[in-house]
Amino acid sequence: MMGCGCNDCEEMMQPYLDGVLTDEQVREAKGHLERCPPCDKRFRFELHLRHFVRVAVDEDMPPGLRQKLSSLRST
Amino acid sequence: MTEPTSAEARRLAEVARDRVRFEEEALELSDQVYRVARRLVGSREEAEDLMQDAYARAFRSWQQYQPGTNLRAWLLRILTNLNIDRGRRVQRSPDLQPLEEGDYYLYNRLESTIGDENPDEERVLDRLSQNSIVEALAEVPHDFRDVVVLVDIGEFSYAEAAQILDIPVGTVMSRLHRGRRILKQILADKAVA
Ligand SMILES: [Zn+2]
Repeated sequence: MMGCGCNDCEEMMQPYLDGVLTDEQVREAKGHLERCPPCDKRFRFELHLRHFVRVAVDEDMPPGLRQKLSSLRST
Repeated sequence: MTEPTSAEARRLAEVARDRVRFEEEALELSDQVYRVARRLVGSREEAEDLMQDAYARAFRSWQQYQPGTNLRAWLLRILTNLNIDRGRRVQRSPDLQPLEEGDYYLYNRLESTIGDENPDEERVLDRLSQNSIVEALAEVPHDFRDVVVLVDIGEFSYAEAAQILDIPVGTVMSRLHRGRRILKQILADKAVA
């Protein structure tokens, strides 16, 4: 299954998630997602994926690095 | 040598105070800067090195920072410049896979591995492991990875990423778009191997 098969909404997905669509385009995208469950599912997947990627690659600063950085201070 | 006037002494004291404040604010942000730096390079050791070089330079050239602007972005600009100076451009793989799948590719591939006709998107996402994501991101070619890391992990805007990397906003957008697709393609290959 490939969503609704329209390239338009696939193209709109990333800008929509990035919050860079115009109000009018947002309305259009929302309207489409309401009418198109396959796209809606993919949209929510993308949303979760971004969050998941951010959390998955998160790594705390190694202990001791802060101290090393601090020792570079002039003051 | 003449004694500094009291106006001059006041000015110097002010500069010293600004400098202390700058250094404290920069250190305060080091966790957040590290999170981004760690994904711009291949190893923790490299990230630690790069952080120290970047902070040393930032502390030296602190007066070039304009108060009120985004300090985290300013620090990362120094850091990415240093990273690029380190000659990583040389390692860039010259022949990028021309074939690129669409944005839905990962979802479609993962969904096909689940027996259900119509699984929840959470179940689809469960097919991915944390490790596979870390590895996949590291495999995205540098130019694309830098942008994906700054925007998707550092949560910088297109304009901020453009400033940090000193490239046009349009280039940020196209690299981001392509970088995310490459990432998803690598992820799909790992998850559905
Ligand atoms: Zn659709």
